[in-house]
Amino acid sequence: MKKLLYILIVSIIVISTACNKKLDVLPQNSATPDLIKTSADVKAVLFGGYQLLQNYGAFGEQFFLVSDLLASNEQLNWVGTYGEYKDVQRKRMVSTNYIPASMWANGYSTINIANTVLDKLSVVDDADKATIEGEAKFLRAAIYFELVGLFAKPYSDGNAMANLGVPLVLLPTYAYDQSKNKPARNTVKQVYDQVISDLKIAIQKLPKNNNNYRADLYSAKAFLSRVYLSMGDNTNAAAQADDVIKSGNFSLTGSYDKAFNNNSNSSEDIFAIQQSTQSNAGTSNQGLTTFYAPQPSARGDAQIDNAYFTHFETTDFRGLYITAGKSIAGSNGNYPNKWAQFYKAIPVVRLAEMYLTRGESNLVAGGTPVGGVTPLDDINIVRSRSGASNLASVTKSDFVEERFRELGFEGDRFWTLKRLLLDIDNLGYDDNKLIMPIPQREIDANSNLVQNAGY
Amino acid sequence: MRKITNFIIMFLCGTMSLVAQTKEVTGKVTDAKSGEPVAGATIKAKGFKNTTITNTDGSFKLSVDEKAKVLEISYVGFTTAEVSIGSGYITSALKEADKSLTEVVVVGYGKSLKKNVTGSISRLGSKEIENFPAPSFESAIQGKAPGVVVTSGSGKLGQAIQINIRGISSISASSQPLYVVDGLPVTTGSVSDGTNDDTNPLADINPNDIESVEILKDASSAAIYGARAANGVVLITTKKGKGGQKTVIELNTSHGVSNPARKLSFLNAKQYVSLIEQSATNDGTYAFNKGYTDLLNGNPYTSLDAAIADYKTNIYEPILDQYSLGTDWRKNAVNSNWQQQLFHKNAPTDQVNLSATGGNDKTRFFISGFYNTQDAIVINNKFSRYGTRFNIDHNATDKLVFGLNLAVNRSQLDRVTNDNAFSTPGQLVAQLPISPLIDPGTGLPNKQTLYPSGIFDALYNFDKQITFRTIGNAYATYKILPSLSFQSEFGADILNLTEKEFAGKESQDGAGIGKGSTVISQSASLNTNNYFTFNPNINDNSKLNVVLGMSYLQNDYEHTYGQGEKYPSDAVKNLSGATSITGASTTNSRYTFLSYFLRASYSYKGKYLLSVSDRIDGSSRFGSTSKYGNFPAASFGWILSDENFLKNSSALSYLKLRVSYGFTGNSEIGEQQFRSLYSVANYPNLPGFTPVQLANPNLKWEKSRQTDIGIDFGFLKNRITGEVDYYKKHTSDLLLNTNIPQTTGYASIYQNAGSLDNSGVEFALTTKNLEGGPFKWSTTFNIAYNKNKVGNIDGQIIESNDNVQRAVQGYAIGSFYMKKFIGVDQQTGDALYQGADGKSTSDYSLAARMIVGKYTPDYTGGFTNTFSYKGLDLSVFFYFVTGNNIYNSAGRYMTAGFYNGWDNQTTDVLKGWTKPGDVTNVPRAGAYYGSGASTSSRWLYKGDYLRLKNLTLGYTLPKSLLSNLNISSARFYISGINLLTYTKYPGDPEVNTNVVSNIAGGKDFYTIPQAKTFTIGLNIKF
Repeated sequence: MKKLLYILIVSIIVISTACNKKLDVLPQNSATPDLIKTSADVKAVLFGGYQLLQNYGAFGEQFFLVSDLLASNEQLNWVGTYGEYKDVQRKRMVSTNYIPASMWANGYSTINIANTVLDKLSVVDDADKATIEGEAKFLRAAIYFELVGLFAKPYSDGNAMANLGVPLVLLPTYAYDQSKNKPARNTVKQVYDQVISDLKIAIQKLPKNNNNYRADLYSAKAFLSRVYLSMGDNTNAAAQADDVIKSGNFSLTGSYDKAFNNNSNSSEDIFAIQQSTQSNAGTSNQGLTTFYAPQPSARGDAQIDNAYFTHFETTDFRGLYITAGKSIAGSNGNYPNKWAQFYKAIPVVRLAEMYLTRGESNLVAGGTPVGGVTPLDDINIVRSRSGASNLASVTKSDFVEERFRELGFEGDRFWTLKRLLLDIDNLGYDDNKLIMPIPQREIDANSNLVQNAGY
Repeated sequence: MRKITNFIIMFLCGTMSLVAQTKEVTGKVTDAKSGEPVAGATIKAKGFKNTTITNTDGSFKLSVDEKAKVLEISYVGFTTAEVSIGSGYITSALKEADKSLTEVVVVGYGKSLKKNVTGSISRLGSKEIENFPAPSFESAIQGKAPGVVVTSGSGKLGQAIQINIRGISSISASSQPLYVVDGLPVTTGSVSDGTNDDTNPLADINPNDIESVEILKDASSAAIYGARAANGVVLITTKKGKGGQKTVIELNTSHGVSNPARKLSFLNAKQYVSLIEQSATNDGTYAFNKGYTDLLNGNPYTSLDAAIADYKTNIYEPILDQYSLGTDWRKNAVNSNWQQQLFHKNAPTDQVNLSATGGNDKTRFFISGFYNTQDAIVINNKFSRYGTRFNIDHNATDKLVFGLNLAVNRSQLDRVTNDNAFSTPGQLVAQLPISPLIDPGTGLPNKQTLYPSGIFDALYNFDKQITFRTIGNAYATYKILPSLSFQSEFGADILNLTEKEFAGKESQDGAGIGKGSTVISQSASLNTNNYFTFNPNINDNSKLNVVLGMSYLQNDYEHTYGQGEKYPSDAVKNLSGATSITGASTTNSRYTFLSYFLRASYSYKGKYLLSVSDRIDGSSRFGSTSKYGNFPAASFGWILSDENFLKNSSALSYLKLRVSYGFTGNSEIGEQQFRSLYSVANYPNLPGFTPVQLANPNLKWEKSRQTDIGIDFGFLKNRITGEVDYYKKHTSDLLLNTNIPQTTGYASIYQNAGSLDNSGVEFALTTKNLEGGPFKWSTTFNIAYNKNKVGNIDGQIIESNDNVQRAVQGYAIGSFYMKKFIGVDQQTGDALYQGADGKSTSDYSLAARMIVGKYTPDYTGGFTNTFSYKGLDLSVFFYFVTGNNIYNSAGRYMTAGFYNGWDNQTTDVLKGWTKPGDVTNVPRAGAYYGSGASTSSRWLYKGDYLRLKNLTLGYTLPKSLLSNLNISSARFYISGINLLTYTKYPGDPEVNTNVVSNIAGGKDFYTIPQAKTFTIGLNIKF
């Protein structure tokens, strides 16, 4: 009898010891940081950054749609049921609106990826090192440029040294530390300086061609031209745009419609977001196509304001590149064909923009045009592709109008009006209502952040 | 050969010697009260081993030792009788035992006399659970146990049901109890398609197989389940066979019909048109008064009438024209009741249960087979289930008993989309009453509705979930010594689920191309419990019971899904018909628990009771520094009524004082939360990783500390019995998903931060108002009060996804936090809100967000009256909830005066403001210049309700009628569920669009109301 008791006790001990090991269960669906150790691993983290650029909180939707809703006059109307988008259009956002929150969150996640990659550059193979560094800096600069433009006063108001921008976080987070991880906002100028510095290094490090539509030298240059343009530095803007145009890597598509709904980059895409059936910005409640394409394939919540058509000559194909349809909330209207199809590449910077940037910059700067092409020729290159008549002479406002026609629904209007100090939807270009609130959850989590005026 | 010879000789000798020393006793055992024979009673000579069992006619025959003088006759539920052995035929009439002395309750790893229990345990027997027309047993126990709040979110079938025992004791971790079926912890979390509502794996347990449900509420009863017990433990015990009885075959069958218990009231076509015209008048008047220009040309208005006409002809009437499809809305040519379309009228419910139970002195069994099918009150939602159970116990020797409890079943749930989907039937109420159901142009269902019509989704889509579930637990008990036994249990809970979804091209969800998906989930739990039970014989006064053991639980979960689109037609509905695959993935996870437990219960003189327990739990959910948690508890009981100073009281028959204190834990936050994680990113051609989670290696158990003081009492020979409990539960080191600055690249991490308190009182009373005569009447009543208060959570702001509910320090969890609507400006019709300065304002942006209510109730309870007269029985059960609020999230569309869309409106909008001086609480309607349509407490209602939950009238046929048919009993009944409801909430008060969350609750969003069900049933025993 005692024997049996001993056997039982021993077997319980054995079972327990065996089970004790079972308490260590490794994750099956994710990697842990200690698994990020080779060159290929660091590259994989960088590639994760592209996925975040594709997110609806970035170029997959909101960087474009939110800008266009803020400058919606004669462009677009929100007819959908999501009140938060309606609030963006009506300039009555509250700090708990989830749209600024998702742009902020996704933006800083992308920045953290870039910072992680830069921190781990030492393990990257020498052959890849420069490119990886350049891409990480490009990602970081692209996001900071968008965030400072959306969450802070415009650079163009002349107070960039004093105006609050967004917090500059340049190191990766590996563990949460209350004392270190509550950054305050840097100034607009500081953020711009960082963006320019990152893009300049990216330009040095990146190759002229990169595989799989990753950022290359010209992606960085095109963004740098945008940055300079928004600062009113026309000479540099023109120079960067000219480099892109002259690279020979890009050409305008034969017709305007060929620039959109492509399976991958078109000939004029300088940088574009790739999508597939399994990797995309969303098909039911998020993503450009979800909101810009009508029923039944999508929701059709964002419709063209009919006044937009008054900006076009009747022969201008760009004014006809639309579809009539119905929104999910039952309203009939027109939709831009640019975002008509799911799973297609999303142009972020197109060559057409570079012509318009070079032309406008040269016009404003005066003197011998950078690149040796006159502003009039630059604007007509873009116009003639779509069947609009050639202009005989050109003014700054022609460029504003041309950008509206060429880059409608691509998020450009807001930036153009802001940098040129023009009214936006009947509000002054620097009106507080045109600046996104710092997300309330962020203010709640970080006492060092100062909210924007008016929220 | 020789051995055999020896054996035979020995055997014969043995027999001879037996014969030489024994005598035969015969007799009959009857029930003292009814005079009926008692079958299965155990007969034993006192001081000797030999036993027998009475036959069906109550007779017995036993050989006893010559020296035996007294026979012991025992039977469950009766007082053991001692009869002296004379020479003749023995007759013994057994008296029914005092229930309070013999009632047994199931506790963790054992059983205990209820009398000896020092913790707080609610027990519900099979009668409370059987034949309730709902898929899972939780619905049946609603209101039956004080302090146990059961919330089924809607009238959809198979949905997750929330049970909160003594309040919600966690913020970010689960607040749901641990469920243990026959010793085996079972899977209760939803494993279905995560994009739809959670479903309820407990629906795989046939309620009619359940013998009892014990709910362990306080720390001392639950702490033996340590780390998983902070939310209470629900022990489910299935039916077992009884020894030495005639096999009883029982048939239960019922049929029922269901309809909605309560509906919101919507406008008919005439009312809709009149509200449209009123809104045009409102907008036109507003525009005119503000000096706005006309809609088309920007010219000033010449008159008020012109302004109104402008809005009428250019905005409002075109809407009526567009959606009436050419029918004359002016003459109310069409008056569609879209709400009616979403309900399945007289939805049928059928169930058949057949079981057999019996056994002899060695083997006992219970087998059952069942089939039931139930249609929900909402179209396209159906639940059906069939399966079997086989429970067996066998005494292999005097020392070894083993057995098996095994249930195998298949259930099928046909589902509708979640409340937030346009395609869900619940949203049909938004369609306009002037929209024809059938398009007069095509003769087909109307496609040109305001929102895509869910009718098409109902016609062309399906979402079918099939679950195969096997729950089995085998055990063996070995008596090492008379006082020491060892039990080993080995169980498995295997759940296999396949969910197929298809949305046809014609439907909203099909997006014109057809979409489909398949989900395959597998959850397999393996559990072993091994423990010693020690009952030493100390002396007559001191009794000790010690349980010492270990258990190990391992759950492996795998989830695979594939989804695709672009179907050539609706002909092929499998995923094989999708010509473009848009997603496919397999994920898996595992969790493990290794636990050691000890419990010692000591009683002195049967009236001083002391129990201590401890459990040490280790889990895969925490890192190496905090893998193990320790959960001790202690309790004390004193049966005062056994003391001399009360023993002779004629009024007081029973009085017990209980005090308990202890710790329980919670780790229900999912897997791998303490590590940093990178998940896979699938950007086209660039396979990558994205960081998704930041480590907190020090993460540890959430701990609850609970004190319980209780009194059990009985008066007038226990005609009045009851219990009162006061408890205080303090949960600290909350596993809080805390927001961190997103500038880190991460949104939140789990931290042990903050605390939460629940305290309350529970009271239960049972009275036998009339007994003894042919007319009997008894009443049970229970009521519980719980106060939930969030403690210091480090200034964290933890909100529901829709930002209307919060955990705020000093307030109940999930308090509604929004702008406060205080009325309507009589002059302008503007909605008025409470401003930050406390004054009223019509400027929504100046209004302050504040706590305006809560979804957790103050008081809950039930009230049952049971009457019987001869064969007739009647029971009437009311359930009530008070002190909670319900927020109609859909109010901003359905009660908003067209400001947020042309949706059909609830009829209360008709009482809206129309002209200066109107006193109303419904602001001005108007698509352009309406007011009060933004999120506010305007749609927050008192959620108190009283419901006639169940009324059952039964008739048991007289035995005399049945004896010829070989039927031992037969009962017919009719029953009604949710027959009457008293509430101020305009819809069904028992709704919640999102049941599985601690912060979010009490919200209606096109939610399907509860069913009102009538059933007729038959119960026959052979």
